Amino acid sequence: MAKQQVKSGDNTTRWIVIAMVLLVVVTGVVFSLMSQSNKENASLAALDGTKLQSAIVSTIDTANGSAITLNAGLPKTIDIWEDPQCPVCKNFEDANGGYIDSLIRDKKATVRFHVLSFLGDESVRAANASFCAADEGQYLDFHHALYAVQSSLENSGFWTNDKLVSIGKKIGINSTKFANCVTKGSKIDLVKTNYDSMPKFGVKGTPTVFINGKLWERKSPDFNLAEFKAAVEAA
Amino acid sequence: MKEFNTRFQSYVTLIGRLLLGGVLLVAGGIKVAKPTDSANAVAAYKLLPTNVAHLFGYALPWLEVAIALLLIIGIMVRPAAIAGGVIMLIFIGAIGSAWARGLLLDCGCFGGGGEIDPSLASQVHRTYFIEIMRDLGLALTALYLYFFPYGKLSFEKAAVEE
Repeated sequence: MAKQQVKSGDNTTRWIVIAMVLLVVVTGVVFSLMSQSNKENASLAALDGTKLQSAIVSTIDTANGSAITLNAGLPKTIDIWEDPQCPVCKNFEDANGGYIDSLIRDKKATVRFHVLSFLGDESVRAANASFCAADEGQYLDFHHALYAVQSSLENSGFWTNDKLVSIGKKIGINSTKFANCVTKGSKIDLVKTNYDSMPKFGVKGTPTVFINGKLWERKSPDFNLAEFKAAVEAA
Repeated sequence: MKEFNTRFQSYVTLIGRLLLGGVLLVAGGIKVAKPTDSANAVAAYKLLPTNVAHLFGYALPWLEVAIALLLIIGIMVRPAAIAGGVIMLIFIGAIGSAWARGLLLDCGCFGGGGEIDPSLASQVHRTYFIEIMRDLGLALTALYLYFFPYGKLSFEKAAVEE
């Protein structure tokens, strides 16, 4: 095919246009990066004034994928499989987190949190820190804090070990044992065991919830408390 | 064929510019509004290190909009067509590679993106095929614009009318 001829003598214009396009793209990237990190750091402010709840001893249920288990041994059981970075898990938490808290604190049900880590390094770190918080008896507090500050960008560099320690500090987990556990990655083996147990329980994504061992399937398009509550009470 | 092209080239070029430019404008415009989704979508392909993927995801929507505007207005159509064609080839490669590696993704072409539930596997594979065909068509449009960048309703005109 014969190419059309380019008009000659428009080299300056060409470079100006190329420079303008690059300017638009670079400005867009810088703007996106800045607004993202601003949003992440601002989210930490949401934790200001959080009061640490009374400690609850949790156990690790090795027969059930090494989940963090609260109130082991009650007749009613709820298994929650979630990844700290998963946005839909945050939706589940926002709708039902408070209710699940009350089930645990009023000893109405055994709740097993399977903290997964398939969304990348930051999930691994957050899961490790979750097990560290469980050792302090403060798993629930830490769990709520993580979802309160969850970044909309996965693996953005936000959840470093240092940041996870400071999230703990902000809500009142101040012990050096916790800080060491987080920075050293002391619970990595448990994180891995949790992740590896997914196929055994037929868990393919998050959040996945079992009530008394039976898969809970939501009917409404979004999570809503009334629906979940009814399912738990009927079980 | 040649005669047809001589007679209607300026119109075919206009349609090509509006087609490629229009698709890029819509795709880029949707993603510009939600940059984090775009960054997550690129990272989900697992082809680039996560932070590089995020940068690419942030840049892509703006790049798409810029190329689209050049094509639609009719400025530097040839370089814009090259850029548009190249990113279509990148998309084809990325979707093809996700398919070959057995990843189940929402391509994130028009916003959204990320992994998809394994129960929808067969549906996802059909979507991959349609997306690759669509991008192939757009790449061919870009190729035509490379040869015939000047046409109707264009800011820039050809130096020599053929």
